[in-house]
Amino acid sequence: MNPTTSPPGAFAELARTAGAWFVGWWRTVHLTALLTVLALSPSSYRKQHRRALARHVYLGTAQSLLWFTALSTLISLVVIRIVLVTALSYGLSQYALEMVVRVLVLELIPLAAALFAALRCTIPLAAEIAALRARGEWKEAAALGADPLRSEVLPRVVAGLFCSLMLAAVSCVVTLVVAYLSTYGFTTAGFEAYTRTVGHVFNPAVSLIFGLKILFFGITVALMPIAAVLDAAPRRRTNTSVELQGLVRMFFALVVIEVASLVGNYY
Amino acid sequence: MQEDPVPVRPAPVPNLEFKAALLLALFVALVLGTVLYLMYARGSFEETQRLVLVADDAAGVSVGMDLSFAGFPIGRVRRIELAPDGAARIVVDVPRRDAHWLRETSVFVLYRSLVGGVSLKAYSGVLTDPPLPDGAQRKVLVGDTTAELPLLVSNARELVQNLTRLSATDSALAGSLSNLQTLTERLNGPRGAAAVLLGDEAEARKIATALDRINQLLARLDGIALKADAQVLGPDGLVQESRATVLQLNAMLGDARATLKRVDSVLAEAQTVAANARVATTDLGALRTEVDATVRKVERLVDEVNRKWPFARDTELKLR
Repeated sequence: MNPTTSPPGAFAELARTAGAWFVGWWRTVHLTALLTVLALSPSSYRKQHRRALARHVYLGTAQSLLWFTALSTLISLVVIRIVLVTALSYGLSQYALEMVVRVLVLELIPLAAALFAALRCTIPLAAEIAALRARGEWKEAAALGADPLRSEVLPRVVAGLFCSLMLAAVSCVVTLVVAYLSTYGFTTAGFEAYTRTVGHVFNPAVSLIFGLKILFFGITVALMPIAAVLDAAPRRRTNTSVELQGLVRMFFALVVIEVASLVGNYY
Repeated sequence: MQEDPVPVRPAPVPNLEFKAALLLALFVALVLGTVLYLMYARGSFEETQRLVLVADDAAGVSVGMDLSFAGFPIGRVRRIELAPDGAARIVVDVPRRDAHWLRETSVFVLYRSLVGGVSLKAYSGVLTDPPLPDGAQRKVLVGDTTAELPLLVSNARELVQNLTRLSATDSALAGSLSNLQTLTERLNGPRGAAAVLLGDEAEARKIATALDRINQLLARLDGIALKADAQVLGPDGLVQESRATVLQLNAMLGDARATLKRVDSVLAEAQTVAANARVATTDLGALRTEVDATVRKVERLVDEVNRKWPFARDTELKLR
């Protein structure tokens, strides 16, 4: 009899999986704490680290910014048009603008920005870390007395976080502008009414939740892929299961944050 | 299994730190701009005045809801709280630039429509009234469509029941309609209307006979009227004689009027005479008074002469 098919064996397997799951999350939390301390430490921004930080921030964000802005403009345009036309056909056009702001700016665009930042910036950066470890450069740097966590990981995590926040900020502003233009056209006549609607949606609680959500999305997409890479043993071959596990963990965290924000906004 | 290719270090970027700083500046500008815009949209930079609306029930009212006037939002619900007396206090912030729409006599209504949310509306009938002061407290009227539904349904049900009773086969209305049908059938028959009025055809026949006799009577009356006409309006008729009499009476009235005028003048003269007599009487009174005074003076003079005269008598009485 296979030990995993017997009830005690299955239980032991389940306990082992749950233990590994908790240990994995604990390591991620621990890494987050370490990186937060490093990020808040002024010594991390000395000249020798600043150049690496600037390079990762610029290269990570600049190459995604234009594409994502164009993409989010297109998606916003289509979704806003669909919402406006549908609302008009049901005679509920007075609610259309508020719905657009709520659905797009509050919910869809930050999530899309986080996912785009993960795909275009943080997952490739995590792959770079994995490559460093695979080539043994990590150990070499550690042997030379340098702290690879500070010199290699921190700039990439900060770059990932910045990329996510920047994409969210740009796309939210672009969506607000597109929503105004789609509703009122190229005129300033609707500015007062539009501003009032936006102010109506963004009450203090919603604004706070919105800000926190974007921040936590950024932390999640910046940290999870790199944490998954650092958690695994260094290998020369591509470790697909580890990367997938990191992605699953990242999606899980994103969903939890999204659900928490929805609960905060609408309950 | 494929081995990872050794990653190539990226080429150095010119002006890297400047570009990174530019990105950071753009991010900070976006965030700051958004925050400032949201603060403006929430009315943080506007001077407001407070208005407290008191309602029995604030269900459906939410913080941030608009107070509208003529379809335009002029205020925003800032807070909802329970007063010590159990009423709901809806605290509304009204921007100063829109506050002039609210007057002392403004009315505030909380609408609950069948579809959609609750809305707060203000009505100002007389815009020349004094403006609403800061911190004013007003009772809000509730226009609740759904609350009127049960009453409406109850009334509609009662109406339908009444209609059902009215239209039943054994109802009074059905009986009346049946009687009306009989009536119209009888009206269509010979002497229908008269028979309907008098009950049966024999009575209707009597009415016809009576009408014939009335016609004969009218013909005779016509002849009598012709004769009377000749007697009254003829050449020697009553009217001509009356006219002559009236002329005579007019002449007599003229004489009487002249006589009365003469009597009037006589009376006027008599009044003049009487007035003269009154004046004369007044003068006589004065004359008499003067004569009395003169006599009294003469008397006193005579007494004085008697006292001073050598032959005067001692008229004084002396007690010895």
